[in-house]
Amino acid sequence: MKKLLEFKDVSYFYQTKENEIKALDEVSFDVKEKEFTSLVGPSGCGKTTILSLTAGLLFPSSGEILIDGKPVEKNDSRIGYMFQRDHLFEWRTIWQNITLGLEVRKQKKDPQKLAFAEELLKKYDLYNFKNKKPRQLSGGMRQRVALIRTLVLQPSLLLLDEPFSALDFQTRLKVCDDVYDIIKSEQKTALLVTHDISEALSMSNKIVILSKRPAKVKENVNISFTGATPLSKREDKDFGKYFEMIWRNLV
Amino acid sequence: MKKKQINYSKARKKYLRNIKKDKCLVLLGQIIIFALFIGLWQLLADTGAIDPFFFSSPSRIVNTIIDLAEDGNLWIHIWTSLYETIIGFIIATVLGTFIAILLWWSEKLRRILEPYLIILNSLPKIALGPMIIFWVGSGTGATIVMCVLICVILTTISMLNAFISCDNDKILLMKSMHANKLQILFKLILPNSIPAFFSVLKINVGMSWVGTIIGEYLSSKAGLGYLINYGSQILKLDIVMASITLLCILATGMYLLVSPLEKRFKK
Ligand SMILES: Nc1ncnc2c1ncn2[C@@H]1O[C@H](COP(=O)(O)OP(=O)(O)OP(=O)(O)O)[C@@H](O)[C@H]1O
Ligand SMILES: [Mg+2]
Repeated sequence: MKKLLEFKDVSYFYQTKENEIKALDEVSFDVKEKEFTSLVGPSGCGKTTILSLTAGLLFPSSGEILIDGKPVEKNDSRIGYMFQRDHLFEWRTIWQNITLGLEVRKQKKDPQKLAFAEELLKKYDLYNFKNKKPRQLSGGMRQRVALIRTLVLQPSLLLLDEPFSALDFQTRLKVCDDVYDIIKSEQKTALLVTHDISEALSMSNKIVILSKRPAKVKENVNISFTGATPLSKREDKDFGKYFEMIWRNLV
Repeated sequence: MKKKQINYSKARKKYLRNIKKDKCLVLLGQIIIFALFIGLWQLLADTGAIDPFFFSSPSRIVNTIIDLAEDGNLWIHIWTSLYETIIGFIIATVLGTFIAILLWWSEKLRRILEPYLIILNSLPKIALGPMIIFWVGSGTGATIVMCVLICVILTTISMLNAFISCDNDKILLMKSMHANKLQILFKLILPNSIPAFFSVLKINVGMSWVGTIIGEYLSSKAGLGYLINYGSQILKLDIVMASITLLCILATGMYLLVSPLEKRFKK
């Protein structure tokens, strides 16, 4: 399958008053179209930095990042970014929240986009909450709204930065399933950052293991399970084997 | 929300009754304190335990207010103070918020102006009184300027703090959707700071009255501050106390007008 995202020997330095922090050290990996790739690595190793670089919020100190064969631009519109917390705006209704991106891009009057937004809400059981405020929704629902807010802009690559870490364990498994479902049925390519190995295993086709800071790619692990949903994959007989291998690589 | 006919459970009924009871008790307590205060004051004054010449008394205050009202001048004094306070309050709030927006917009400007903001904030504005009179002349203008000076720096600093404390990830989110700076300001920073804005409004109600009274002390021909000054000079402390009473009522009234706005926005 085609490579949608390519990191080629990307290094990145943060500049601070005191010193220079090397966050990435010649990182190379790729994400294939319609696949689900996860980044795992010790905390503070540079995972968020990789996503920020991909989204065009930062630019590499050296090396090259290609999306669809073309270099990333400032605020690349081919990218959708979902953060750790949902960051829904409390003063806006659910509908106003998910159309925020359209508003910002001056597409609020485009009937096609609005119809798409409405369709997403209906498809993922949030239509009844259209005019509610975020605080009237549960944590899992809020996270779904945050995902829809990203999908409304029809990005070709979704970046997910520990999107479930703010949820409790039960909700987390459920939302994980939901989000996986949405991403698969919308046929999106996704790059997920997580520190939870099981989560990475249950969602991804490929896991990229990073070393501690400055991040280097330690290993690319291709995953294949027979199960279809993250929950069922967790029951696969190979799950434990993969888990151990990745865990050994991490520490 | 629709009102439904619900058969509340026993525990729920009890809970609701208790809430009502608590509310009544609180109100009762407040009324008792008020009545005790007024009654005791009147009693002490009537029995001569305190000298009504210095301490006045509720009945003397009421009579003085009636006298002043019949005189016709009371309304001019009230109107003058109210007018100065409201104009000062509005100018200071709008100007302060506007300066805060400018300082949020340009970090350079913010860093350049920071020491001056600190100086202006620590300076007791009343010290500028004589200068203000030379610059804008005595009277209503000077009072409004004093009022604005007292409120504007605080408004600027509070609003700027609210703007800056906006979650950085929310800004990144806006950026990842390609928002420009103006959109970030109007769609994120300003609505996000509405709660802070309301607390600034509430503080400014009190501060603008301080400004007005100080301004009128310094130089004026009308207003409650003038009346207080005048009363103390001719040793009619009843006039002073009557003016303070009116001031209490007006300031509380203004606060009560501003605070429901907050509830409306919270919905
Ligand atoms: N704006 C910044 N200025 C300076 N240093 C930074 C900045 N942002 C991140 N860093 C440093 O760069 C390193 C990588 O940060 P990054 O946020 O990418 O890590 P992460 O893998 O996402 O961590 P976590 O697991 O905690 O989310 C960290 O050690 C951090 O201290
Ligand atoms: Mg991170």
